[in-house]
Amino acid sequence: MTLSGLFRSTTAPRSKRRIGPTIAGLILVGFAVAALLCPWVAPWPYDQQALALAYRAPSPAHWFGTDEFGRDVFSRVLYGARTSLTVALVSISTSCLLGMVIGALCGYVGGRFDRWTMAAIDLTWCFPEILLALLLVAILGPGSTSTVLAIAIAYLAQFTRLTRSQIRALKRETFVEASLSFGAGPAHILLCRLLPNAIAPVIVVAMLTTGDAILLEATLGFFGMGAQPPTPSWGGMMSSGSELLFDAPWVILWPGAAIAVSVVSINVFGDGVLDALDVKKRERVH
Amino acid sequence: MTKYAIRRVLALLPVFLVVTGIVFLLIHLVPGDPIDNLVRAGSDPEQRAAIARAYGLDRSLVEQYLTWMGHLAQGDLGTAIVQRRPVADLIAENIGYSLALGGSALAFSAIVGVLAGVVAASFQDRPLDRMLMGAALIGSTVPSFWLGLLMILLFAVELGWVPVSGARHWTSVILPAATVGLAGMALVARVTRIAMVQTARADFVTLLHANGVSRFAIQSRHLLRHALVPVLTLLSLRIGLIVGGSVTVEYVFARPGLGSLLIRAINQRDYPVIQGCLLMLAVAVMLGTLIGDLLQAAMDPRQREEQRS
Amino acid sequence: MYTSFRPLVWAALALGLVSTNAPADAADATFVLAANQNGTPVLDPIRASLVNLADKLIYDCLVQQAEDQSFHPHLATSWTVTPDGMEWTFELKPGVTFHDGEPFDAETIRWWVPKFAGTENAYLVEAIDRVEVVGPLTVRFVMKHPDANLLYNLSSGFMGIPAPKAYDAAGAEYGTKVAVGTGPYRLERFATGVETVLKRNPAYKWASALSKNAGPAPIDTLTLREIGDPSTAFLEMRTGGVDLVVDVPPATVPRYQTLANAKMQTMPGFGIFYMPINTTVEPFTDVAVRRAVALSIDRREIVDNLYAGKGKAATTFLLASLPEAKVDPKLELVHDPKTAASLLDGAGWKPGPDGIRVKDGKPLVVTLWTQSDTEFKRMTEVIQAQLKSVGIRAEISVFDTSAIRAEYKKGKQQLAVRSYGWNNADILDWFFSGERIGYPNISMWKDDKAEALRLKALKGSRTLDERIANFRAYHEYVLEQVPFAPIYEPVQTIAYNADRLTLPATIRGPQFSAPTVLDITVK
Repeated sequence: MTLSGLFRSTTAPRSKRRIGPTIAGLILVGFAVAALLCPWVAPWPYDQQALALAYRAPSPAHWFGTDEFGRDVFSRVLYGARTSLTVALVSISTSCLLGMVIGALCGYVGGRFDRWTMAAIDLTWCFPEILLALLLVAILGPGSTSTVLAIAIAYLAQFTRLTRSQIRALKRETFVEASLSFGAGPAHILLCRLLPNAIAPVIVVAMLTTGDAILLEATLGFFGMGAQPPTPSWGGMMSSGSELLFDAPWVILWPGAAIAVSVVSINVFGDGVLDALDVKKRERVH
Repeated sequence: MTKYAIRRVLALLPVFLVVTGIVFLLIHLVPGDPIDNLVRAGSDPEQRAAIARAYGLDRSLVEQYLTWMGHLAQGDLGTAIVQRRPVADLIAENIGYSLALGGSALAFSAIVGVLAGVVAASFQDRPLDRMLMGAALIGSTVPSFWLGLLMILLFAVELGWVPVSGARHWTSVILPAATVGLAGMALVARVTRIAMVQTARADFVTLLHANGVSRFAIQSRHLLRHALVPVLTLLSLRIGLIVGGSVTVEYVFARPGLGSLLIRAINQRDYPVIQGCLLMLAVAVMLGTLIGDLLQAAMDPRQREEQRS
Repeated sequence: MYTSFRPLVWAALALGLVSTNAPADAADATFVLAANQNGTPVLDPIRASLVNLADKLIYDCLVQQAEDQSFHPHLATSWTVTPDGMEWTFELKPGVTFHDGEPFDAETIRWWVPKFAGTENAYLVEAIDRVEVVGPLTVRFVMKHPDANLLYNLSSGFMGIPAPKAYDAAGAEYGTKVAVGTGPYRLERFATGVETVLKRNPAYKWASALSKNAGPAPIDTLTLREIGDPSTAFLEMRTGGVDLVVDVPPATVPRYQTLANAKMQTMPGFGIFYMPINTTVEPFTDVAVRRAVALSIDRREIVDNLYAGKGKAATTFLLASLPEAKVDPKLELVHDPKTAASLLDGAGWKPGPDGIRVKDGKPLVVTLWTQSDTEFKRMTEVIQAQLKSVGIRAEISVFDTSAIRAEYKKGKQQLAVRSYGWNNADILDWFFSGERIGYPNISMWKDDKAEALRLKALKGSRTLDERIANFRAYHEYVLEQVPFAPIYEPVQTIAYNADRLTLPATIRGPQFSAPTVLDITVK
């Protein structure tokens, strides 16, 4: 059994539709809306300092309390959704698209091209994501573009390998051979026959990896290399000093909760999408 | 099978060469140099030039790379510029700690993850399943630097069962291992559960049921064995990550290890150390992937055929 | 060990006293090193680029510096210098032996000084032409040129004296497996980045006058641990895993105050936080704009809120305790937003619609660089807000410590937040020398008058008093030209377990080191 096989659905098709994915989807939409509308929704500017009011516990004026600069944590969590979700989404979609293109080519072409390309791609797999990301951020210089690129490259191997193995498995199936015998060109087969059938597990893994990307951004923040201050990101807020755990737990609790809720929602939603796609899978795109 | 294994090992050699090149290029692309970490701000330019000469830093990258490769071929990893000691010594000093932490973390995520997955699978789609999977998922969303501190607070400070930090006593590995292991456990549990559920639908299981084999026997003897294949693959892929990827945990627990050595070396731009450590990690991951592939091939002959074509 | 202690632990918990891993021997102790001393690669002062507390305990120096920056005899009992500053004669303390039993005498010094040649620390003895042995316990330094800073150099950790035989025998291994000095402790075990285990030197009876105890140290086995995360160090203290934390970060001081058995003692810090201003980049080519930036920093706010009122607002480039820091009060750079605003107005930067000042249609936007450590990032964020309040928008970029130096060398920086740790006025030369543009002269400042004053202070001072006067003049000119803005002078907070240790009333010496450790008693 290949790894990709593991991400197929586990729910029998006859089981009734679950409510979880819908709720998860709604939560994600909520986060997205909050991220879009935060200049109007946030009660305070995210960078307004009031040092005398630092470390205040949650109150009616500051729902989530204030941080070490007396800034409103609620507003910062809202703005942080913007940074964290954007970084995660952009980096994972970049990584996923690139990985699909390379993986599909490798899987379809095979041979020496496949071996060498995969050897190169596997290199990124050799290093722990955080080390790779730290090195890349150092090379590319500070800024959100380098964070996005670093995360995208850190997860590239995973998507490439997955797409490749999907394509290779499908290549042998009868419907592809049938197309070939009807005289379809390689581009047609790759784009219209193989990719649509291979895409589902890749998309699901992409969704699940989005959670990891949010956490990776947080770990980058732990090493001081995340979003540039005063721009808030959930990871950056959580990693701005471990003494916060004792002095003002709310400063880390809320962004932490935001990360947890969004990662869980993404996973549950991903599973739901998987179920839906699995049903379709039975009536293959021919 | 042996032939296949030999071929796979040989195939790693060119990859290894490319890895050395990439590792070398990557760290020299990072701005900054080790000399600034060696001398104090007041030193004069001639002094800096002398140090650069002594370590060959004034030569072209290609020359430096070839020199490094030449030493590497003789099994010499070079001498650290800032840390001033043979890189092999530094790695030898730290790798034991990393293996202890990585190994026990891997064991933790394997045992707890497989157990959770099996239990969840046998209660598929029932509340216990959802609860277990949900808990595992939430556990994996807490960044490890916080998970580590929370663990210290609970088990070392409140309960006093284990030391807070350091690596003086074997008990000090428990908390860091649990912290690293918990993060990886969610995926293991998930994979085990899915593999169990999928295998349960296989024809041979229906046959076993029909033959009147007890549910427990099917679960433990037949299902689990089949389901463990992907779990092993997954775990083998994590070996390298666990050896070098636990640097935040090492930091929080003030533990030595390859991760901390590497991070310190990266911060100081201590090129020989970074090169040596990254190479070690790359080898660990390559071997991990290899073991995974071999395991898969051993279980599934089709894979071997495919590689040959 | 831990299992058998379990019942005890529960009992202790019930009493509210948690002590899971108290050292077995009552005379043992564990200290947590200051974070800036973590990662010392070798315990070899001659080759080291970083010395830590372990070095100070293994090695003794000829001269010992006190907390008021004055110099006191240690392995040298007395010294004389000729009026032209060209010959120094030192009398050495009799009866001193190294940990390996070898004697310490004039021959040791003759072997030692030339050892610096070719190392990064060669500058320490650069002014010494040769060492002459006058008698078994008398040496003379014949100088190439006068060096008014010689006593300071001799008292620095880099000039701890190692044992010649052991040093030459160990070769490259010296400093990692072997480290032999005359100090109150000998090396037992050393693991970079982890811990250093030291054993008391029972023969020690030649402490400097700074410590009351002239004999062996009261603590028998001393473990110096390196713990990066300040919260972990705090939790170790709370559970009795460590007995003393050498440098408690200001943000965690309130935590320690909640511990019943923890006491804290403060000592003057050992450095300055400052903001270099790139004098070659617009708008900071104008000294009025530089001054405006320096005057708009509210140092009091930083001390009170980021450091809980501990430490001082820095108004010059040097530690306030240094004589060269006693400059004309008019030159001190203090918080003065009104003058800052009028200076900016005068320079043509008028308030714009969104509060950011504008000149010729261009907004006053500058870059503000900082390092990735929490302390730097926090201070930088506060300064960003303070600059905004006078109409300057500063955009922060965070670099790691090595990358930021590489960027400084390119010379594109405008403002940056950084710090140094040094208790000598020659730090002015390090950071403002026209010969080191980019890094370490991040201000890229090259000024003919400054260069003349600098060289006079550095090379033209024959005596200590002359050196002080010359450096003060140079310092005053630097303050006048504002190539930097001073920010903060920290204090160092030492926390210790009062149930186990008793500390002397004052921490002697410029840093927490041997004179203090010798006077720490164990209960």
